[in-house]
Amino acid sequence: MARRVVITACSAITPIGRTRAEIVRHLVEGISGVKPLRNDGLLTERIHSGVYGTVDYPVDYDFKRSHSKTMGPVSFYACQVAKETLAASGLDSAFITSGRLGVAFGSTHGSPSVQRNIYKTFFSESKQEFASIGAVDYLKSMVHTTAVNITKMFGITGRVISSSTACTTSSQSIGFGYESVKYGLQDAMLCGGADEYDTTTVAVFDNLLACSSDFNATPHLTPRPFDVRRDGLVVGEGAGALLLEEFEHAKNRGADILGEIIGFSCNNNGGDLILPNTRGITDTIALALKDAAVGPEAIDFISAHATGTKMGDVIEAQATGGIYGKGPLVTGLKSYMGHTMGSCGAIEAIITLHMMAEGFVPPTLNLVEVDDRCAMIRHVQHLEEKTIRIGAVQNFAFGGVNTCFILKKVDT
Amino acid sequence: MRRDDIESAILKIFAEKFEIEAPGVDDDLRDGYEFDSIDAIELLHEIEIMLATQLTRAEKKNAMEIRTINQIVDYAEALATARRQTGSAGPKSLSTTGP
Repeated sequence: MARRVVITACSAITPIGRTRAEIVRHLVEGISGVKPLRNDGLLTERIHSGVYGTVDYPVDYDFKRSHSKTMGPVSFYACQVAKETLAASGLDSAFITSGRLGVAFGSTHGSPSVQRNIYKTFFSESKQEFASIGAVDYLKSMVHTTAVNITKMFGITGRVISSSTACTTSSQSIGFGYESVKYGLQDAMLCGGADEYDTTTVAVFDNLLACSSDFNATPHLTPRPFDVRRDGLVVGEGAGALLLEEFEHAKNRGADILGEIIGFSCNNNGGDLILPNTRGITDTIALALKDAAVGPEAIDFISAHATGTKMGDVIEAQATGGIYGKGPLVTGLKSYMGHTMGSCGAIEAIITLHMMAEGFVPPTLNLVEVDDRCAMIRHVQHLEEKTIRIGAVQNFAFGGVNTCFILKKVDT
Repeated sequence: MRRDDIESAILKIFAEKFEIEAPGVDDDLRDGYEFDSIDAIELLHEIEIMLATQLTRAEKKNAMEIRTINQIVDYAEALATARRQTGSAGPKSLSTTGP
């Protein structure tokens, strides 16, 4: 039997701030979190793109050594937002450790900075025979490092799902977490994703000519989703966590309900691993609406994946327009912070919840002149007051993986 | 290295590497400071650097039951003595079994 799934807490680390007030201020005032790419002494000089969605403020951690010793930078991000989310949820230790709470959390590829140190060992010119890989390097860098450092820190004994599907990592976390609660496998799921500052990812997209490089001297002017002058995506860092909970459980304990997840879809284009696909994305959107049991006219707002690439934006606009026409408002939130990779779905879900709570929709930043090929949807180019009752979050990844989940405002 | 020097070096490693400041030399490190098997592997790596030698697999296994600073100092001192007697930094010439 299907159960209702609500969101009762969340936390984020983003290039445009951490708290709801900070994030909303950036959105309302049109302030970008994209900054110059820092020199990493390895790849930076060979990368054409010179911009990055940067967390340029300190994050205060208070982790015991027994926890932090197995954590790379990506797990510091993940555990911090997980810690804040659990604290905000009000769930007690007995429930957290009961097995009724699971974790769905991932990242693009574990901790690349720790992996770099491992690779250095292979190419070391040191004559010292005892040079070796550290005992915890694998635990810090493995693909599921975020999820299991979270379970360790809080004694969580429920199921573990650790998606690692690049740009759909955390939207899968949310979707699979939603399904785990909806179908009674868990009563709550701590869901999200994280990615640390990493130039390897920039180099990958840069090699594919997919990164923005025309605005290196003016980072705040890129990315430019749907704009005629867009020249590619901007890689970013960040983390987001959401506590998904069975509705009756949340209601009975008097929890704050930030929103409800009413639908989720995940499919594959069934072909090319890089090129976006209109048919695949169209199916993703239709499947999500079907799962939510609502028609396209019910959607007030769409958080588009909108990375700012030449073809990705066109395909998304065409698929979205084919189903919705010019009905719902559409914003590309990555225009404010770049593409935070494994965390983007969670961060965009959290921002959508903030917008629901405060009744506004921000414009797609840097969208000055809409590309004719993207003109079939209702772009937001100025801040709008708007009551969002239902919003959709779309994400698409290398490998042809597509996701869409649908969030609903819950009247309390 | 003299025993005093080894003890000082080990305590310095504990402070800097494991954030464990001035533990009692007979304290149980696992019970008192959450020093686990992962930490033990890291410590052995630090001892290899300290003594500029490479430990054998058997030597490393012998260290897994160590619980106190005193036992660690005993272990490192025995290694240092054995290496000095054989005049080699290589692992194949070492015959100590540790404490």
